[in-house]
Order: sequence, then C-alpha cells, then structure tokens
Amino acid sequence: MDNLLNIGVAQLAVAENPVIMRTILGSCVGICVYERNKKIGGMAHILLPKNPGNANPEKYADTAIPMLIQQMLKKGCKREFMTAKIAGGASMFKFKSTTTLANIGENNVEATRQALAKFSIPIVAEDIGGSAGRIIDFFLEDGRLKVKASGDEKIYYKV
Amino acid sequence: MHEHIQQRIQSIIQNVEQLPSLPDVVSKIINMVNDPDVSFKHVADEIAKDQAITANILKLCNSAYFSKGKEISSIDRAIVILGLKEVKDIVVIATTKSVLNKVIVGYDLARGELWKHGVAVAMLAKKIATECNQKAIADIAFTGGIIHDVGKTVLALFVQSTFKEILNTVTEKSITFQEAEKVVMGFDHQQIGEQVAIKWKFPKVLQSIVRYHHEPMNAPDDHKMIVSIVHIANTLCLMAGIGIGSDGLYHELNYDAIKLLSLKDSELEKLFADIPELMMKAKDIL
Repeated sequence: MDNLLNIGVAQLAVAENPVIMRTILGSCVGICVYERNKKIGGMAHILLPKNPGNANPEKYADTAIPMLIQQMLKKGCKREFMTAKIAGGASMFKFKSTTTLANIGENNVEATRQALAKFSIPIVAEDIGGSAGRIIDFFLEDGRLKVKASGDEKIYYKV
Repeated sequence: MHEHIQQRIQSIIQNVEQLPSLPDVVSKIINMVNDPDVSFKHVADEIAKDQAITANILKLCNSAYFSKGKEISSIDRAIVILGLKEVKDIVVIATTKSVLNKVIVGYDLARGELWKHGVAVAMLAKKIATECNQKAIADIAFTGGIIHDVGKTVLALFVQSTFKEILNTVTEKSITFQEAEKVVMGFDHQQIGEQVAIKWKFPKVLQSIVRYHHEPMNAPDDHKMIVSIVHIANTLCLMAGIGIGSDGLYHELNYDAIKLLSLKDSELEKLFADIPELMMKAKDIL
C-alpha cells in the first residue's frame, strides 16, 4: 500500500484522503480524529495519560490531543465536522493490581476521553481494554477504522 | 492436546538442522568475552576472519546507539573504544538479524516487528540492569533481550493452525498465552527458544533468559535476577506495543520480579515513559 503512513509510539500526524494511517497498540491509546467535510484525519499514539510538565507533548494524552486538533484546525478543518474513534488501552492479563503500571491502559483511555471532551469532539466508536494487542488502520477516504486484534478484524464506519 | 503437532515439534528439536543457524563466530566471541584472561587481539582476529560480518559490525559501531563520538574504522579500535562486552553485543546484533527479521505468521508479526521487539527489549534490559546496580551483567541482559523470543520463529507455523484453540484455552482456563501454547501444542516458545540457544552453544545464563522470560521465578536461583530484568523489559515493550502480536498482553507481569529488583512504581513508569526516546536512538540498528 503506497498510501500507508505508519505512526510510531508517541507520534502524531495529520494527513488527507487517500492516506491510510496505521499504528500498533498495547496499553497505549490510538486517537483517530476525522473531519468528514475535508476528508482530513489525524492520528495520535499516546503512551501515558498526563504530561508531567515539559516532556514530549506527543507522548501524553493531555498534550497530544490539543496538539493534534490544532494541527487539523490549521489545515482548515472545522471542529463541528470532527469526530473521534479511539482504540487500545489494553492491560496485562495477569498482574498484581496495586502496581500503577498495570492500570496504565485504563488511565490512558480516561485521559483521552477527558481531553476530547474539552474540545467537544464526540467519540463515535471505541475498541478498548482487554488484553489484546491491536493493529489499527485509519482510512481517510471515508474515516473508517479497521481494528485487527487476536486474529480477528472489525471495521468501524461511523464518522 | 494435538499429539501430531507435539510430535512434529519434537522431531524439529531432535533434528537440530531444522532449527535456525548462526555462524560459529558468535558463540566463540560470547565465550571469549566471559574469559577473564582473553586477549583483545585474539577476539579481533576471530571477528576479522569473517569479512561480511566485519563490515556490518563497523557500521553498527558508528551508529547512534553505540557510538562514543569517535569514528571507528577497525575492529581493534572498536574493542579499545567501546570495550569487549559492547563489541560482543554488536556481533550478536549483526548476526541474529537474519534469523529474527522475518514475517512471523501465527503471532501476526509483520516483517521487522520481532526484530524491533528484540532490539527494544535488549536496550531496555540493559538500561534496567545499569540503573538497578547490575551493571556487570548489563551486556548479558542485552544479548538475552535480542534473542529471548527466537522460539517464536520456529513455533509460528503451529500457532497459526491452532491459534483460536490457544486463545480459547487462555480464557477458559485463565492461563497466559505461553502456558496455553504448552497445553495445546505440548511446547511453548520458551522451550523451543532454549533448544535454539543450546544449538548455538550459548552459555547457560542466556539459555535461562530464553527459557524463563515469562516465568522468571522458575529460573535457576543464580539467574533469577537477570531473567527478571529481561522479563520486565519484555513486559514494558509489549505494553508500549513494540512487537506486540496476536498473543497481545495475554501474559503475566510478575510481581516478584519487580520486588527482586526493588523497582518502585515511579521507576517502572519512568522506564516505560522513556521507551520512545530509546527507540529513536535505535533507528539505524533496525
């Protein structure tokens, strides 16, 4: 696929139709924001919920999401045409629940929800939690999201 | 259990030619570095016998992750500037890539993913060892990190045909993916990996890392510490999605391993948070 754009851990990017954005997730959360009018999409791959201060903004939900949306607005996207789909946030299958590390997936999802709510961007689909790894493909042609997890594929069409 | 699969795996193990190969120079160098009386010259000569490997090694010596700033243009200089242990790790990287840089069906790993995972776990394990006052074994943690999942390259085809069953076993019995591999196929990827390490004439400590990286507390007592280091590095890299496959996070994060290394929650989170920067440094190794 020539149009495939791989997004690494703690990276974000904005692109347009016909690009397909891909990332691979464990406890991280992939945030896919789509502007249906312009067919522009942005993807962020966040590792942790809250930026402790001056750390790399792309790594944390509370700083990556505003950055992603700013970049989309700069390209002429309108907030009222934006929706989000989120995936990831898995946890280790077996762990001692007192370790904060074990709850990172959950905390990432929560911080992602809060950051998107601040911009009033609705989450139209979620594929989160559990212990599966996920390969996600975000098609900017129509904003659909393909999630491959545990050998199965699901496609979320709603935008 | 599928007895025919178990038998096929058994025959692969017995007929070692079917297991992946590595040039002899690798085990020679690993064992030389462990010998306190070894001469630099002897090691350099051994590496230089293989021209193809030498060129690749020099390239790696000058990569962002290993370079100490000075241009290195010979193996002798590499040993002087980087040290024997570092050069040994570079030899391992240069020679194992062809074994690990493959599409791993069954585990759903695209080409390059298992290799990237090995390099990430190696770098993180070395960092953990250094930060936990285990600097003397940091290089072994690195080598172990590179090769810990080598068994997956052999087991993948069998996982492909039994994947649904393995996953059902995970949920029904509430056991980890690797435990379910054993239930369904008679072997898990750790056991196959151990056989590969034996074939490669790697020392016992590396065999232990490969054999117990999902169950560090079952490792022999004198290897528990180093296996725990690789276990934690492996868990953190999988959580970060680096080399995560169809087995996902259906594994265990062993609390006793964390306790053995006296790692605080905040330290674990810091190690996890540093993974992206570590991966940036590794760009020209991958």
